[in-house]
Amino acid sequence: MRLIPPSSKKFAPIMISVAMAAMFSVSANVLAAEVDADAAIALAKKNNCFKCHAIDKTKKGPAYKKIAAKYKGKADGEDKLIKNFTTGPKVKLEDGTEEDHKVIDTKDLKELKNLAQWILSQ
Amino acid sequence: MKKTLLLLSLAALGIGSACAADPAKINWSNISVVKVPLFYPGQSTYEWLRSDAHKGAAKEVKRGDACMSCHDEDGAEKDIGNKIVKGGPLEPMPVAGKSGYKELKVQAAYDDKNAYLRFQWPTDNAYPGSEHQYLRFDGKEWKVSGYPKLDKVVQEGKQPGIYEDRMSVMIDDGKVAGFAQQGCWQSCHDGQRDNPKQFTKEEVAANPLLTAIKKGDVRKYLPDTRTDPSDWKTGKTVEEIAKLKAAGYFVDLIQWRAHRSHAVGMADDGYVLEWRLGDAGKDVFGGNADAKTHAPKFMWDAKKVGYKSITADQLRKGDHFLIREQNAVPFDPNAGWKEGDMIPDYLTSREDAKGSAADNNAIASWKDSMWTVVLIRPLGLTNDDDKALKEGGVYNVGFAVHDDNITTRGHQISFVKTLGLGVKKDAKVDINAVKLP
Repeated sequence: MRLIPPSSKKFAPIMISVAMAAMFSVSANVLAAEVDADAAIALAKKNNCFKCHAIDKTKKGPAYKKIAAKYKGKADGEDKLIKNFTTGPKVKLEDGTEEDHKVIDTKDLKELKNLAQWILSQ
Repeated sequence: MKKTLLLLSLAALGIGSACAADPAKINWSNISVVKVPLFYPGQSTYEWLRSDAHKGAAKEVKRGDACMSCHDEDGAEKDIGNKIVKGGPLEPMPVAGKSGYKELKVQAAYDDKNAYLRFQWPTDNAYPGSEHQYLRFDGKEWKVSGYPKLDKVVQEGKQPGIYEDRMSVMIDDGKVAGFAQQGCWQSCHDGQRDNPKQFTKEEVAANPLLTAIKKGDVRKYLPDTRTDPSDWKTGKTVEEIAKLKAAGYFVDLIQWRAHRSHAVGMADDGYVLEWRLGDAGKDVFGGNADAKTHAPKFMWDAKKVGYKSITADQLRKGDHFLIREQNAVPFDPNAGWKEGDMIPDYLTSREDAKGSAADNNAIASWKDSMWTVVLIRPLGLTNDDDKALKEGGVYNVGFAVHDDNITTRGHQISFVKTLGLGVKKDAKVDINAVKLP
């Protein structure tokens, strides 16, 4: 199945749900309703994130839906995601092996938060 | 080439007989179109895919994972092709203005006799790439004029870029390990023409396999034909390779050529095993240069076409095909040749094409910067160098287009796809040929 990045419009119901969840999250600094999906997808594509992750299926890394299910609504969810793709920690792959996670090539906190929130909104 | 001539040629071969559709009359509007992304691969060889340069994926490729297990996101092919074509580690000699991506429209049908594969793709140029290299008289000798655009002589402006457009299909019936996952990349290796670590003549001359099969360069090969798949020099013996072939370890390679086969309504028929080989028999085209003098062997018949040669100012103006049985006569060295006279470097002939090499026909046209090509492939071929297409069969296929005067790596290619011939709806294939009424 091809990964088709959802457009912002198609994404609206999900974003509303995430926004509601974020209202109860003390550390959700960027409200999901403000997620710029196009910018997040562009950053992810630029950094080859989709080579290892898909929205709804397991590739080399877990599906974004699976990641979102794990961290959505948690106080430190956004921080953990940003730490994951800015510090390059060892991550366990779906085949059981380990490798260093890719480090995103931006230090712009706004961009990083937007990407994290986009992932959490899946 | 006029379409009527092609149709007459096809009719003469019985393609319009009772059990086969008239390929010119197939109603393609009733057959679904599959859009296949094609992208510029540059020098992303079998070896590069397995190297650390293929970031984060070498292990997966060596394990045999499919290319699309990673490159499956929307727009993946476009992103890759547009990046590589601009030049960089995978393209040391970028061609100005070349497309990194093309959309290939594919339709497929079959009847009791043939499979019909219809392809449409846009050309970069506002003219059909139906001319090929010429022999040009420089006042003393006949020399090749026109080269593919990856060649240094073209990039330095010393020669014009002249090379025919092509549409290629590689077919595996499941007997080539890895092809279902990694497609054409099974056949593309370091050492080949225009790839990294390109062979030298001395290396080829010293190579036991290539000397045994009488080849003077390195072209596509499949991994199991070498003891080390990543080293073209490690060829197995001819006997071992014959056993691989007998076991079906080869891929069919059909190439429609806008000059050398289109001229007579055909596509050539070859296969890849230890080299890119032609099927048994006689191919639709052959060289027109005399091996010793390099003068042409044939020229145009002035009584039929009004000229015996052309000059550079006539390029891209009309169909410049030299067809042995239609418009060619033996070359006359005393015909008053002048500097700049040009005669095609290749001679085409449907009448001379014979055997397994002459299996494939084609109808093609170019209009509004778009080629439309219908390949006609007989079903159930029994030659030992063909993959037999059968109703209900599923095949792994790779597609490639050579556009804008180029050859070797200068193509746009697809990730591997599956082609079925009338498979049931629950059998998942990318392209399912429909049975014609």
